[in-house]
Amino acid sequence: MADSTRPANVSDPGEAIPSAGRLLFVAAGVVFWGWLLATWVNRWLGGPVVPVGEPFVAPGTVESALAALPLLSAYATDLAFVTRISPEIARGIWLTVVITVVSLAVGFFIAVPLAVARVYGRLTAYVSLVYTELLRGTPLLAQLFVLHFGLNMGQYVPVALSDVFARNVVWVAILGFVLNGAAYQAEYIRGAIESVEEGQLTAGRAIGLSKVETIYYVVLPQGLRYAIPSWTNEFVYLIKYSSLAAFITVPELYYRAFEIASDTFRYPMIFAVTGLAYLCLVLTATELMARVEDLVAIPGVGGDRER
Amino acid sequence: MSDADSNPDADANADADANDAAESGDRDYLRVADISKWYGDEQVLDDVSFEMDRGDVTVLIGPSGSGKSTMLRCVNRLAEAQEGEIFLDGEEVTAPDVDVDELRREVGMVFQDFNLFAHLTALDNVALGPRRVLDLSEAEADERAHAQLERVGLADQTDSYPAELSGGQKQRVGIARALAMEPKLMLFDEPTSALDPELIGEVLEVMHDLVADGMTMLVVTHEMSFARAVADEIVFLDEGRVVERGPPEQLFDNPEKERTARFLDRIASHD
Ligand SMILES: Nc1ncnc2c1ncn2[C@@H]1O[C@H](COP(=O)(O)OP(=O)(O)OP(=O)(O)O)[C@@H](O)[C@H]1O
Ligand SMILES: [Mg+2]
Repeated sequence: MADSTRPANVSDPGEAIPSAGRLLFVAAGVVFWGWLLATWVNRWLGGPVVPVGEPFVAPGTVESALAALPLLSAYATDLAFVTRISPEIARGIWLTVVITVVSLAVGFFIAVPLAVARVYGRLTAYVSLVYTELLRGTPLLAQLFVLHFGLNMGQYVPVALSDVFARNVVWVAILGFVLNGAAYQAEYIRGAIESVEEGQLTAGRAIGLSKVETIYYVVLPQGLRYAIPSWTNEFVYLIKYSSLAAFITVPELYYRAFEIASDTFRYPMIFAVTGLAYLCLVLTATELMARVEDLVAIPGVGGDRER
Repeated sequence: MSDADSNPDADANADADANDAAESGDRDYLRVADISKWYGDEQVLDDVSFEMDRGDVTVLIGPSGSGKSTMLRCVNRLAEAQEGEIFLDGEEVTAPDVDVDELRREVGMVFQDFNLFAHLTALDNVALGPRRVLDLSEAEADERAHAQLERVGLADQTDSYPAELSGGQKQRVGIARALAMEPKLMLFDEPTSALDPELIGEVLEVMHDLVADGMTMLVVTHEMSFARAVADEIVFLDEGRVVERGPPEQLFDNPEKERTARFLDRIASHD
């Protein structure tokens, strides 16, 4: 019998007793996000701290400071370079974060009906199936090319939206990620909905809720909780796949890194830094979703369920 | 209490009707008439008929697979009978144009494996129907849920989630959830079969209370002593057919059919 009686918040032991690794992890997160937020705010406010586009510490200062240290002197030039490009990288990260979060959020509201249709629909199940398989079965880059070069979707962006970003192509990328991500999210959510016991639906119907009401009030609250771990995958993938937007000239993180690299030819250095930035974003997403999972945890639903 | 208290006038009238019916010999608060049902080629119900009066308790017994659950589910249209008719309080339940959601408000159902809403507390499990189906205000629904949980002896467990309750407590929440809709009829599908033996008593106790309150109940159970104590009629189903029906004393002590006797022997030897 599924009589699991775990308390609402079981945190893993690593969280109860902060280990050295955990502390380092949190510290790295604070530095990363602190730097990002400071850079972004400085830019939005028109550069009250340092001129827009300039790093907080002059690269020359970094170089001479490090050169004086015995162990780090060998890396002084490299780190000065990283300092110089940091505002540009932060700018790229901003767009990467916005594209990922907006696409994921909007995609979610398409994915839920798609998943529900797939599980409970008749004709709509086929529509949902065809959509999902089409979008998951063709390359994301090809989808972006169709939207941008093929259909030139940028021209349809409403005026209200076209002021948000410098260029409409950002919206085209978001559209692409919404459509594609919805298909993937729908698959994860479908799996989770299917794992909700059939008796739950029967019980909802038996008290007089309609099928749609039962899905809304009974099945989804449970299914979406089950979906969190696998849904986190989609979050992580999208952070990385959003780099494909570079190929339709969206100036997100990868695009800016590539631009700097072709100007300076310092490919290994730049992509090491870029890779690190992606890693920080991914770890943040994973951490965030683990928190969300704990926050909405209900004894006996999700997490430790027997399946 | 259920609708007996909430609407005394209507209740008095209904009682009068029920008395008339009893006097005239008709027992047709619930009338199941020649119900047949197939799953594919397999016939699971074959011309099943029985009647209940208001306030009656009828117990369905029969071997596994004999169609007991299917029969119950035909009454609240969770399953569709292909032939025959069912009437509840004068309305034809099986009519194609019946609003099944409306019907299910009036027929409470209690399941073998509870089927409590896993993400809701005991209180919210019971209050969901009143809130979303009966459209009561949040406060009214909560009040009603509290009252029903109290009725089944769980006033102190309102904030527990199903996973935090024992099997017996879960089933009592299940009963409270059905009662909160103030149904005309309660269906019980083996309400104690999934329970550890020491937890069966608390559920049967609640069911005894309901009988005392005059609830009309159609019960599938293997609890023969409960059936003997409260049933007005026992219906023995086998292979989808009513083999024999009658008051408990007659059916248990002097079964007419050999098949009934054999089934009762088998059940008895299990106890
Ligand atoms: N949804 C369904 N689809 C196909 N066959 C079904 C379905 N539900 C029940 N049956 C079949 O109908 C017959 C009667 O089933 P039912 O569950 O009504 O029996 P039961 O008397 O309640 O048995 P038990 O004591 O095991 O609960 C069985 O042979 C069963 O396999
Ligand atoms: Mg059954």
